[in-house]
Amino acid sequence: MSAPITRGQLLSRSAKGGAALLVGGAALGSLVETASAASTTLPTGDLAYVRLLVGAELLASDFYSTALAAANAKPAVTAYLKRAYANEQEHYTSVAQILSGVGVTPAVSGDIDFSYPDGTFATQHSIAKFAAGLETTILGAYLGAIDGIQTDTLKVGLARIAANEAQHVGYFSAAAGGKAFTLSFPQELTIDEASNALDAFTA
Amino acid sequence: MFSRIVPFLAIAAVCASLAAGGASARPDRSAAGGITVFAGSSMTAVLPQIDPSNTYSFGSSTALGTQITNGAPADVLMSANTTVPASLYAAGVVEKPVNFTRNTLAVVVPKSNPAGIKSIYDLTKPGVKIAEAASTVPVGSYTVQVLNQMGINTAVQANVVTKETSDANVVAKVALGQVDAGFVYLSDYVIDPTHLTLIKVPAWAQPKITYAMAVVTKSPNQAAAEAWMKKVLSPAGQAIFVKNGFLPLTAPVPTIAKVAPAHGTPGATVMLTGTNFTGTIAVTVAGVPAKFKYVSPTKLTFTVPAKAKSGSITVTNPSGKASTPFTVG
Repeated sequence: MSAPITRGQLLSRSAKGGAALLVGGAALGSLVETASAASTTLPTGDLAYVRLLVGAELLASDFYSTALAAANAKPAVTAYLKRAYANEQEHYTSVAQILSGVGVTPAVSGDIDFSYPDGTFATQHSIAKFAAGLETTILGAYLGAIDGIQTDTLKVGLARIAANEAQHVGYFSAAAGGKAFTLSFPQELTIDEASNALDAFTA
Repeated sequence: MFSRIVPFLAIAAVCASLAAGGASARPDRSAAGGITVFAGSSMTAVLPQIDPSNTYSFGSSTALGTQITNGAPADVLMSANTTVPASLYAAGVVEKPVNFTRNTLAVVVPKSNPAGIKSIYDLTKPGVKIAEAASTVPVGSYTVQVLNQMGINTAVQANVVTKETSDANVVAKVALGQVDAGFVYLSDYVIDPTHLTLIKVPAWAQPKITYAMAVVTKSPNQAAAEAWMKKVLSPAGQAIFVKNGFLPLTAPVPTIAKVAPAHGTPGATVMLTGTNFTGTIAVTVAGVPAKFKYVSPTKLTFTVPAKAKSGSITVTNPSGKASTPFTVG
């Protein structure tokens, strides 16, 4: 569970940053706060990043729900699949609220048709291997967003999500027979790199 | 190549004529037979495959809607969006609209790809020449919507050298090499992949492109118009749309036609033959999950689970389930 951020902290950070929006821990429920009704906007480039992340979280949730339905993993791995699924759903809620907070309708489950390579869900190993690769891409997308967005007050929240995605990378890499961690500095992806990588899994 | 492009130019001429000329003359039904269908130009290739006896007028859905409102003698409107039929329905010009297919936005470049475009983001590079449809027609409004969602509209618009009256015109410009890239529907690419290269628009930025149709209220051929709509919605009609690059309204559910062998002991491998196995997420025997292997869209194998009892084999994909009896033992 994430440590909650108080409304006061949100507003304080927002005021310091001079921007309108914040993203915080999932425990808060609604994560978007507006410092002033007159400034409920985000730069176009930031909105694009957030839309991309919404799409990434929908993909991750779809993948984990499908993996759980396939029921091909042992109980220990299944427990982590369930936890990762819950994490991704909470991430989705967070990033989707950034959009809804500025009056933009976020994509929802069913808006995007996903597809996976044959055999993705056939075995525990194939599920873990795919999860590790997917999470690496999503981590790169978050790191790229943190670097690329202009609204400073969004960065901490996105970094917290990225930290959780990195945990997913570590666990599923090990579950797939690889090393839990290797790089001191995981690779960030530009928005076009992240977009192209994630789009490989859309129908 | 020229023979392939000629139809595009012909379509472009028709579209320009429709856009500029308002209501067209009533087609000679006695010569053509069937009913008169006004349809978005993205359906130029597909509708005659469903019924060649109808008389079709293809063009911008927006312009066609205006023509019907002004009294053009159409029996059915088939629009590349839901908004035009909805507004005509609200005005009493057409009966209640029905959704009948979906599409996706795509970027096409000439096969030679002179600008070296590999991603939609490359369209922001200075000097790239782009064709798009005017924002007053559905494909043009979808284009602007996508570019805004990706945060690159300003940069891309700076490279737009022509705004066309339909997707068909955009395809023609790209196929002739007059521009480096154009925004069209995926179905436009599927019609002629020989001279075009597809650049995907990311799913996270895709608009919801749903097509809707409606019987024109004043049509004297109500029964025939409704029969046509049923034909479009039939499995055969939908299959023709899918074959031409459109998306089905809903993903198909699986079906099971054959189980071989019809019984088996735990650990045995069983082959299922059926349809729509792509995307299968679970196979169970009497509710017990079975390990399965996807072979093809029509074949699956699974291993009879150790704790399984006789009952139903159930195959599940994201759209639904199919079941058939199976004996363990």
